[in-house]
Amino acid sequence: MFPKKSPKVTIDYTKCGEKGQMDPRDCAKCLRVCDPAIFILHESPNMPIDPVDPKYWRITPVWLSLCNMCMKCVKVCPLGAITVSR
Amino acid sequence: MCDWCMKHGAGGKWYMNAKNYSNELAEAMNAQEYLREQWKAFEMVYIRRIMGITSIDLGYKLQLPIIGRILRWSAERMIHSEGKHRNPVRADGHFGQVIPLEEAKVILGNLAAEPIIENYCMCRWMQRGIKEACCINFGLLSGVIEKLPRFIPKDTKYRLDRDEAIARIEEHNKKGYVATVWFQPVPYINAICSCENPECGGLRLRNDFGLHTVYKGEYVAEVDPDRCQACGTCVTKCQFGALRLVHSLKRVIVDINKCFGCGVCRHACKYDAINLVPRENYPALRGVY
Repeated sequence: MFPKKSPKVTIDYTKCGEKGQMDPRDCAKCLRVCDPAIFILHESPNMPIDPVDPKYWRITPVWLSLCNMCMKCVKVCPLGAITVSR
Repeated sequence: MCDWCMKHGAGGKWYMNAKNYSNELAEAMNAQEYLREQWKAFEMVYIRRIMGITSIDLGYKLQLPIIGRILRWSAERMIHSEGKHRNPVRADGHFGQVIPLEEAKVILGNLAAEPIIENYCMCRWMQRGIKEACCINFGLLSGVIEKLPRFIPKDTKYRLDRDEAIARIEEHNKKGYVATVWFQPVPYINAICSCENPECGGLRLRNDFGLHTVYKGEYVAEVDPDRCQACGTCVTKCQFGALRLVHSLKRVIVDINKCFGCGVCRHACKYDAINLVPRENYPALRGVY
């Protein structure tokens, strides 16, 4: 009756994101390696919003039902911040 | 003819009605305020909670029994909202339709309100982290986007005159990008995008989740079996997987249920074997957008 659960993709925001070592805008490797494009780059909701030119960005896996668990993002991430599980 | 042509087309196609491009209409709707709110945090549209629900794992949520149906119904209602109190941060009343290159040229050459600008595509930026200048916006929206530096190309000219805009849309068409025209919010038209699957947020919701953020065009592709040389160039250009090269027939066949009528394949064909015919010519496709 219930649909199949989507894979879980998590990003460790202590490594990547507004508090991490890297600005996701400069890296964006996971965004580009993903064939179904399940990630979204967006301004960080935890920081004061700058409406004109936001400085703090993070990546969220959004379209999880389209994830094929190919693990390419896990391999490509230079910080090892991404985990993919069932 | 779709519902939106009936409502806003003045007897024709909705995007061919000059009134929908006018500054007067925009002012009467107070579109400036809406667009400013919408664009200053557009990247948050899938992250933000809308009635307590985000778009994260939308595919799963839409398949849930009962809840999924309610969700789909309210999402469609939001996308097509014509109400007075539309919420810009969830892009109420923002949807579009695929158009062939010829119609995009007519719009940019005659109908679009000045100033015309070409800015970085929002969807490619949020889905791929890539800045590619290929979204042509006009009317009040130009002034709104110009104030947001992250969307304005630095080294190239971004304010275009009509001929430059037409040249740009031709360039995008050669690359295989699909021209789409957008209500933002309905019935005010202020953008022609050059979309790509699956980066485009509108095509993503349409193709993967069946929400009507983008309507299929008024045409479908038809292959002339006598002219087709079975080279398969058109197949590589189709963003929707509607074309297939059938070796035994020595020609390309079209899946008209998948075809969005963008006509990109037609310009890729060296033998002039593909034509666009009105969707209405196929009884099975009448009213199916």
